[in-house]
Amino acid sequence: MNTLTLYFRREWQLMFRNTSSLIQPLTFFIIIALLFPFSLPAENALLQRIGGGVIWVSAVLATLLSLESMFHSDYHDGTLEQMLIHPRSLPLAMLGKALAHWTATGLVLSLFSPVLCLTFNIPSDQIWVLFAGLLLGTPSLTLIGAIGAALTVTLRRGGVLIAIIILPLYIPILIFGAGMLTQATQGLDVTSQLYALAAILTLALTLSPFAIAGALRVTIN
Amino acid sequence: MNPFTSIWTFLSTTYHRLGSPREFYRISRYVTPVFGFLFLTLSALGAYFGLFVAPADYQQGDAFRILFVHVPVAWMSLFVYVVMAVAGAIGLIWRMKMAFVVTICSAPIGAAFTALALLTGSIWGKPIWGTYWVWDARLTSELILLFLYFGIMAVYYAFEERKTAEKAAALLSVVGVVIVPIIHYSVEWWSSLHQGVTVFAEGGPKMPPSMLLPLAFMAVGFMFFYGYALFLTMRNRVLINERKSKWVRALAMGESI
Amino acid sequence: MVLINSVFCKTKVNLTLMPSTQAISAKNLSCTRGDKLLFENLNFSIVSGECLHVTGENGSGKTSLLRIIAGINRSETGELVWNNENALVNLSFFAACAYIAHKDGLKNELTAIENLRYYQQLESNNSNSDQNEEALDEALDRLKILQCADLSAQQLSFGQRRRLAFARLLVSNFSLWILDEPFTGIDKNGRALIEELCVEHLEKGGVIILTHHQSLIDSPINAYRKELKLSELDGS
Repeated sequence: MNTLTLYFRREWQLMFRNTSSLIQPLTFFIIIALLFPFSLPAENALLQRIGGGVIWVSAVLATLLSLESMFHSDYHDGTLEQMLIHPRSLPLAMLGKALAHWTATGLVLSLFSPVLCLTFNIPSDQIWVLFAGLLLGTPSLTLIGAIGAALTVTLRRGGVLIAIIILPLYIPILIFGAGMLTQATQGLDVTSQLYALAAILTLALTLSPFAIAGALRVTIN
Repeated sequence: MNPFTSIWTFLSTTYHRLGSPREFYRISRYVTPVFGFLFLTLSALGAYFGLFVAPADYQQGDAFRILFVHVPVAWMSLFVYVVMAVAGAIGLIWRMKMAFVVTICSAPIGAAFTALALLTGSIWGKPIWGTYWVWDARLTSELILLFLYFGIMAVYYAFEERKTAEKAAALLSVVGVVIVPIIHYSVEWWSSLHQGVTVFAEGGPKMPPSMLLPLAFMAVGFMFFYGYALFLTMRNRVLINERKSKWVRALAMGESI
Repeated sequence: MVLINSVFCKTKVNLTLMPSTQAISAKNLSCTRGDKLLFENLNFSIVSGECLHVTGENGSGKTSLLRIIAGINRSETGELVWNNENALVNLSFFAACAYIAHKDGLKNELTAIENLRYYQQLESNNSNSDQNEEALDEALDRLKILQCADLSAQQLSFGQRRRLAFARLLVSNFSLWILDEPFTGIDKNGRALIEELCVEHLEKGGVIILTHHQSLIDSPINAYRKELKLSELDGS
């Protein structure tokens, strides 16, 4: 079995045995998004305008929350050490792991986002714009975030540090993803933002596995 | 000897000398004051020409003169980041001790330049835009850059083992340098309130020489300030890092090296 | 200053002839933790059928040395040579080397046999699933934990987990075993079993590097043993 499939399947197997890792990010995502209507004037027009941004911020925070546990158990039970010294490619293994992690977080969030759109009264023709944006943007969030997770895996309180180092790097994805919806509301074309998100994803897919592997080699000792 | 060989030999000996903390400490003792002197001279000249010689702007009056600090500082904030990331990459690839010291010592200096750029920018913004802060592209990019610097410093101080900390910070600075252009262009797209590019515009600078000259003096002067501050902090850090070595002990006993 | 005192007390030369002999040697390894120099200028060399017993006080760098040999950490100086090639840039070294330490690398969520299967898939490209499954059962049986095959690793006792970790050595073809305190937390029978496996491995021409804080005089491994003593001579 090739390294990518092996790791992807293993990660899936582990996630399904540990149901909380599947439920937590989605629940967190929904709760964060639903906090906004409570903290703002309950005007449909306002909620409709900010809905896209709110959903994007919630997706970023939910991804961030899930990152801390990404390498945590692997580090504590020694699996991570074994990964560093097996004769297979570490970047490929990390790519498989990150993609599997994305399917349990980003993919699930994206699939659920249309329902949230309805609660924000976002018109149905704009729902697909948000959905497509999330689908293209969330894998980059996971891949870039995994670098931060790998850098902080040995630290006892790495959660805050991940947020500090990773959130600034998320800004372009947030700008293009949420900007897409603003454009769509004004009836403008969104293909350029889709291309930008796709370009970022391409970069993240090709470069971040090496950065994750490098970060693990630096911190595990 | 053929000139290329001799240049190569010179470069490689310099590299190896600077790669050794002890040699760096010895050489930097003579270089640091030179940097400090050049910084003082150039920035004094720049300040004189900028504040007294350059004519007032026909729109902004004397308020524009903050440009002679704001613009060089903003340039330096990016320049320091690039130096930091290149040094980080050299350290990670060739396992060079001193390169990590450059990375670690550059971070606070770069953060200070970035904070100054933000501060002078908002001071300048008050009379011109009527507000201290606008969500414009360059201010926002600069703010994100400040957070990137803070992130690198936070990573460095999070690890107890110094070698791990150095490598982790270097790796993050290399990752950051890949993302900085993307951040820049995304923010640019997001908003463009700020005035367009003036100095490096096509068809030569759109600035009269009386303003360009002090700006150039200030820019080069600040570059030397960076060198000066960097070498001072590096000398300090080298002593801390090598405190167990014989030469630092000898130094502490009052011997010269 | 910490100096290395390599005491080679080889008691018996193993003369089993192997089609290919394996050899690992280290030249001038060093390791520092923080400001503390654990060891420097460390050299050793062992070949097929030999077991390097790393001894020394707590904190003398035994585990650090094993991690450097396994390729998890890097030595600041020197090199590690595996069959005449630089080990750490050589994939065949990583394929030949198994590292078993206190952290056992087992997943609580997976059953014993699933844990073992993962390591088998990681190391081998054999796609014959019948053969593979047979090898897994054999390994579990050999370590007397076949009855636990379908229990999750969380349900295993500490000793059973240790045995499961060692079963990993049998499902793949490793020639170099690196074992950090292999007899910790394991009962008398378990220890005898692991010693038996080690002797078998050495007889087949394998190489073992292990740490153990006690003497191995009474152990069957003693016959193959070479000692490497990490000693702290001066505390400064």
